Amino acid sequence: MIAHQLTLIRREVWEHRSIWMTPLVIALIVSLLSLTGQVVVSGFDHAVDIAIVGASNIGENERRVAITAFLVGISLLFILAMQVLTVFYSLDALYAERKDKSILFWRSLPVTDAETVLSKLITAGLLIPIITFVAVVVTHVFNLVISSIWLSAQGGDAGHLIWSSVPLIDNWLATLIVFVALPLWMSPFLGWFLFVSSFTKRSPLLVAFLPILVVPMLERIILGTSIFSEAIFVRTGKMPLFHGMESADFFDEDKLTVSGEAISLLARIDLAGFLTSPSLWLGLVVCGLFTTAAIYMRRYREEG
Amino acid sequence: MTSLVSARNVSKHYGDVRAVDNVSFGIEKGKILGLIGPNGAGKTTLLKALLGLTDCDGELTVLGLDPFRQRKALMQQICFIADVAVLPRWIRVFQLLDFIESVHPNFSRTYAEELLARTKVRRGAKVRELSKGMVTQLHLSIITAIDAKLLVLDEPTLGLDILFRKEFYANLLNDYFDGERTILITTHQVEEIENLLTDIMFINEGKILLHASMESLPETYVELLTSGDNAVTARGLGPIHEHEVFGKNVMTFEGIDRSKLAELGELHTPSVADLFVAKIKGAEA
Repeated sequence: MIAHQLTLIRREVWEHRSIWMTPLVIALIVSLLSLTGQVVVSGFDHAVDIAIVGASNIGENERRVAITAFLVGISLLFILAMQVLTVFYSLDALYAERKDKSILFWRSLPVTDAETVLSKLITAGLLIPIITFVAVVVTHVFNLVISSIWLSAQGGDAGHLIWSSVPLIDNWLATLIVFVALPLWMSPFLGWFLFVSSFTKRSPLLVAFLPILVVPMLERIILGTSIFSEAIFVRTGKMPLFHGMESADFFDEDKLTVSGEAISLLARIDLAGFLTSPSLWLGLVVCGLFTTAAIYMRRYREEG
Repeated sequence: MTSLVSARNVSKHYGDVRAVDNVSFGIEKGKILGLIGPNGAGKTTLLKALLGLTDCDGELTVLGLDPFRQRKALMQQICFIADVAVLPRWIRVFQLLDFIESVHPNFSRTYAEELLARTKVRRGAKVRELSKGMVTQLHLSIITAIDAKLLVLDEPTLGLDILFRKEFYANLLNDYFDGERTILITTHQVEEIENLLTDIMFINEGKILLHASMESLPETYVELLTSGDNAVTARGLGPIHEHEVFGKNVMTFEGIDRSKLAELGELHTPSVADLFVAKIKGAEA
């Protein structure tokens, strides 16, 4: 069963090369940007010296916040790319095999429709986030290394300014949690996309997004309510994974310093709150229903 | 003999259209059965039902399994090549072999590689880079390397040139068929497979017109080539079909004593293609 799943998932990676190409391209772009930045900045010798002196003189906490912000910025880029990738992948997952007519070949093998659809759900909800997370870690390390080399070349103390100031493990653990939690939170959309891809005859993107735009309007016009749009809005808004944070709690406006509390990303994560959120579980149920519907479609829909 | 396929009162409707209309038949082990019918006769629907790709009414079992509800178990023991079930164009040959090896318990990778080594199909090539003939060779090599009890071929040689078609059937007989396995095949190029069939089944408008062994055809059907007064006499004996060729009358008879016709003209056993036309036209008349 598990060996079967692994084979099916490997098949997905063969077919949809964007699963690893997208994170790779983002990693290259980020690294290239960062290299370009260093080359450009190096032209301003005097300013660079002042900046290094400045960086050496600010407090430990402030330096950590700055580097954390740099790392989180990179992670956010990847998250954005991952979301787009997941939308396109899941809309294509059950559509491509029907479009290229290979579905009957796949169905001529001893694999159930449930196993196949499940492998696509796992690919979108787990494999893509894991691959993207690995790309984030590699990009982080690579960019910190080239920054250190650059800093050392400029006469800065990279060991002190960068490496002693990076709460890497804390940052990566928190990022990993976000990468695993985000697809769970967004799972109703994932289920919906898979379902659309299992039945639509053409343009899955349009078929998937049109109802999300039109249904709220119709609901408003006909029923005068906005339950659907609120549900969508809540889902695409804030995840209940994070503790609320007031800037006054950690930022001292008079002294312009931050407290040590601000440094840990892990401390901001409210895993218990996330796992006990009814919205999360409701979303997973919706995802389950759409996935079941997609399995049903693959089984009963006739091609040709 | 054990029945590999057993159908009783099987029907499949699409709205008002009866694609398969209350058919009953059995297919025994070790047969090579040709399923022959005009376009839209219900062949593909019937095959889909047998392969568990569509649900149907009535009792249908293949290898003792309900094809639609036990598709996975069934697919371990049967294989099919269909014109509509094409290999994915993006996949590489070795990926395809890897995949099938790990999902199919009865697939022999070694044998498939051996068969492929005889062809020009490269292991690293993508399916989209192969010619249509090579794709069919690839598909047949895979299917042959699966130890299946039943092989279903739906227009397997469509769009192939004559060399590939001949080779396809030669390989099918030499590498695949061993008397234990069963083959169900549909094609429009019936002349090409006539010699390898053990049984034929004609289907038209969702109904089975004929299901017989090839051996029994000469006993049941006879074609008379005649003209003039003899033709009139022969017509009185009730041919199921009649047509003219070069000013001569060709009549097909069913279940008639050959000696009754012997003095009226030349007698032949009709070819499957001619018999098919006679049965279809005869049923329409």
